[in-house]
Amino acid sequence: MDKIKNIRNFCIIAHIDHGKSTLADRLIELTGTISKRDMQDQILDSMELEREKGITIKLAPTRLIYEYNGQEYVLNPIDTPGHVDFTYEVSRSLAACEGALLLVDASQGVEAQTLANTYLALDNNLEIIPVINKIDLPSARVDEVKEEIEDTIGLEAKNCPCVSAKEGINIPDVLKAVIEQIPCPVGDASGKLKCLIFDSHYDNFKGAICLVRVFDGTVKKGDKILMMQTQKVYEITEVGIFVPNTKEVDILSAGEVGYIAASIKTIADVKVGDTITSALNPIEKPLDGYKEVQPVVFCGIFPVDGARYMELKDAIEKLKLNDASLQYTPENSTALGSGFRCGFLGLLHLEIITERLEREFNLDIITTAPSVLYNVYKTNGEMLQISNPSNMPPAVEIDRIEEPIVAVNVFTPPEYVGAIMDLAHEKRGVFKDMTYIDKRRVQLNYDIPLGEIIYDFFDSLKSRTRGYASFDYEAKCYSTAELVKVDILLNGEKCDALSMIVHKDKAYTQGRKLTERLKKIIPRHLFEIPIQACIGGKIIARETLSALRKDVLAKCYGGDITRKMKLLEKQKQGKKRMRKLGSVEIPSEAFLSILKLDEDDE
Amino acid sequence: MKTMNKLSVYIHIPFCERKCNYCAFVSFCAKEEERDRYVNFLVDEILNSKYEGIVDTIYFGGGTPSLLSVQNIKRILDALKEKFAFDNKLEITIEVNPNSVTQEKLAAYRDLGINRVSVGVQSLNDASLKSIGRLHNSEEAENCLKLVGNYFDHYSADLIIGLEGEEDITKFAERLIDLGVKHISCYMLEVHKGTPLFKLVKEGKYIPLDDEKVVASYDKLAAFLKSCGFNRYEISNFALDGYESKHNIAYWTFKDYIGYGAAAHSFYRGKRFANADTLERYYAGKRKVSSEKDSSLIIERIMLGLRCFSGVNIDELRKLGYDVEENPNYADYLKSGVIRKEGKNFFLNEDYYSVSDYVIKHLLP
Repeated sequence: MDKIKNIRNFCIIAHIDHGKSTLADRLIELTGTISKRDMQDQILDSMELEREKGITIKLAPTRLIYEYNGQEYVLNPIDTPGHVDFTYEVSRSLAACEGALLLVDASQGVEAQTLANTYLALDNNLEIIPVINKIDLPSARVDEVKEEIEDTIGLEAKNCPCVSAKEGINIPDVLKAVIEQIPCPVGDASGKLKCLIFDSHYDNFKGAICLVRVFDGTVKKGDKILMMQTQKVYEITEVGIFVPNTKEVDILSAGEVGYIAASIKTIADVKVGDTITSALNPIEKPLDGYKEVQPVVFCGIFPVDGARYMELKDAIEKLKLNDASLQYTPENSTALGSGFRCGFLGLLHLEIITERLEREFNLDIITTAPSVLYNVYKTNGEMLQISNPSNMPPAVEIDRIEEPIVAVNVFTPPEYVGAIMDLAHEKRGVFKDMTYIDKRRVQLNYDIPLGEIIYDFFDSLKSRTRGYASFDYEAKCYSTAELVKVDILLNGEKCDALSMIVHKDKAYTQGRKLTERLKKIIPRHLFEIPIQACIGGKIIARETLSALRKDVLAKCYGGDITRKMKLLEKQKQGKKRMRKLGSVEIPSEAFLSILKLDEDDE
Repeated sequence: MKTMNKLSVYIHIPFCERKCNYCAFVSFCAKEEERDRYVNFLVDEILNSKYEGIVDTIYFGGGTPSLLSVQNIKRILDALKEKFAFDNKLEITIEVNPNSVTQEKLAAYRDLGINRVSVGVQSLNDASLKSIGRLHNSEEAENCLKLVGNYFDHYSADLIIGLEGEEDITKFAERLIDLGVKHISCYMLEVHKGTPLFKLVKEGKYIPLDDEKVVASYDKLAAFLKSCGFNRYEISNFALDGYESKHNIAYWTFKDYIGYGAAAHSFYRGKRFANADTLERYYAGKRKVSSEKDSSLIIERIMLGLRCFSGVNIDELRKLGYDVEENPNYADYLKSGVIRKEGKNFFLNEDYYSVSDYVIKHLLP
């Protein structure tokens, strides 16, 4: 029997919340890969945080054995992160497959992410099988959703599997479709080794682990391999598969999915998208599609308690072990002391990292406003790439500034088109296109500066459309814009961590809102404190925080002593969360207030 | 024979005829039988307790201790007498409300050895008294003070500053002094969450005096009392020479004190603890022990020292492991006149009494 003919490598792609991880769990359960007793919901989402947020960040391929029509099949479902931040990782996972399950929620229908991922899958020439999920819900509208899939994506959906992953309804239909419709891998086990790294993770004992799809040739322990992008050579210490925990095997051959360990010291040496070949008998050309992953969103991360800088450093280093896309460099702020400037793939990535720092490492951190990477052209011809407002050269030295623009794709019920257009306008969006997909769904395309998206675009979109709209974006270009740096002065001293880069037309309003916010957040002192916003030397907004005149003179007898002490003890803890700039104490919330400037007041 | 330490005793009487609408203290409305039952437990608690010392101050606080029958007060004092030796300069204070004392009661108090009376006057403006839910009016308050003056030399009155519309309360103080009051405690109105007053303020139906006016009013009152010979011996307490409350001073100078009754707090041999603050839990003998970390000792020293005439001793803080002179705020405050240093002690300057919490907080480790 030709082994490769019975292998099926496929991804599951879906919009967030459409039930991808639950379906993967059901497949594992049905194929008996894990006994029901050991089943923990959503096995593939290994991190606690992922399970809690209901999103999958890390890919975890699990080998399933399934008997169908008297033959044994090896199924490798590769779970993919369903978020725009990880588009590149998704594209590499897709490149490792021959097919994809496109999971669509029976009540929600086609969403922005569904479309984006489908395009990615089409780019990779995958066989796409639509699967309609959550048919058990009363709000399910299976037939309409089938039509939507046919109309908007152009996929045949008449006979697609309709399931409830949660209730375990019709799951065998999915396996049947996988086996019958997805082509088997094509590859030559006797050819030269050609392997795609589609993910990596770090193991304390084995070093960096490559998750691979073998296209041609075979690979086993002791082989010398060459990473074609880094040009580094390693000797393999172990090859294996996931079931879903790692299991060592003798050999991985063409068509198979598994892992390779080769005493690779850091995860940075394992580039997702890189091609592995034999060091002794290499192929000439690597696989297409490799990209160096670049962070697009940046922010400063500081410990709330300055004394915990070393702990923060250790924690970030630990996270970096498993996350090659996380970038960081030390940063010093006059207001916040020592910390790190970090680069992320997107806002979700940023949020995940900061939450993990707080949760897994028990750190209290202050994050400064997120920023994008600006191209700053100086009058002397020099070009600087700046992500930190504090590094912006003086205005007189700047010829022009370019900001990144993204193409935004929004799906919405028609009644919210007006609200979305208003939002896009506020965010300096340029209208591109509008398509009525059907009676209930409109697709809007805008070009919007990324710097505007990273503040609160997503939250605003959700609140203005009652959660009905979905959106997705991809990098488009850099474009010149009239941007200025707004600084905040507290008692005459510049607070670097509160500086922001904004469009000239918004500078005045943003400056005024920020000073107003700060006036509310900064506690009164024994003296009066002017809070000013300025561009260069020009003050554009000012608030005055008057001096504290009284706190309550209360009794201080027997029981009151304890009562008052408790209060002071509590306030003392609060004081630790304060940062001092000159003689002004600033609560850590102040640094977050900059994020919420576009929220309507109260 | 070993010498015995001095001991202060606080007796908590958690009963009121009606709870004032700003009050967040532990007090209940109860019938006579309930009060008798409470005193039974109180007497038991005293008799079964294991503290040692010569009692030199006793303080009946509440609630409204004057709501108790004279017989019950006597039972409590008898129990204390049975348990402890009394100092020959024993100060015994009782808190009274203007509408709950009678000539007979006052005479009986005096006969029981009580020698100091604290009257909850709060205000001498009828509208104000009504709006904060007090049961008396100004006339009753004045009559009560006259009556008290017939039996006692040493009596005190409480005033609240910051009530709606009361920008100047020196006229009240003047009247109190005319009526023979020799000790005045003056607190700022606190609007606690969960009190009826909190709700009124939130709904805009009661508008306490704004901060600026409260501070101005307090400054004016302090200046007036000073001109009348009253010393500000603690941040919110004023007294003529020799009429300071010994019991209060014991609290502020880390003397041992024992609290009996529900919600009563104690400080004994360096430890702070308290009784449970509901009647059921108190009857069941429940106790709360506060943590005695070094850090809370430091907070205590600074808080009480700065509020009090005695100041804070730098060496004592150092013994507890805290060098206040290394706190950058300390130098700042010395320079800007918030505090002053005399010898080994530092003091809060009077101009900053109104922001004492802020200053204390910033001088903590």
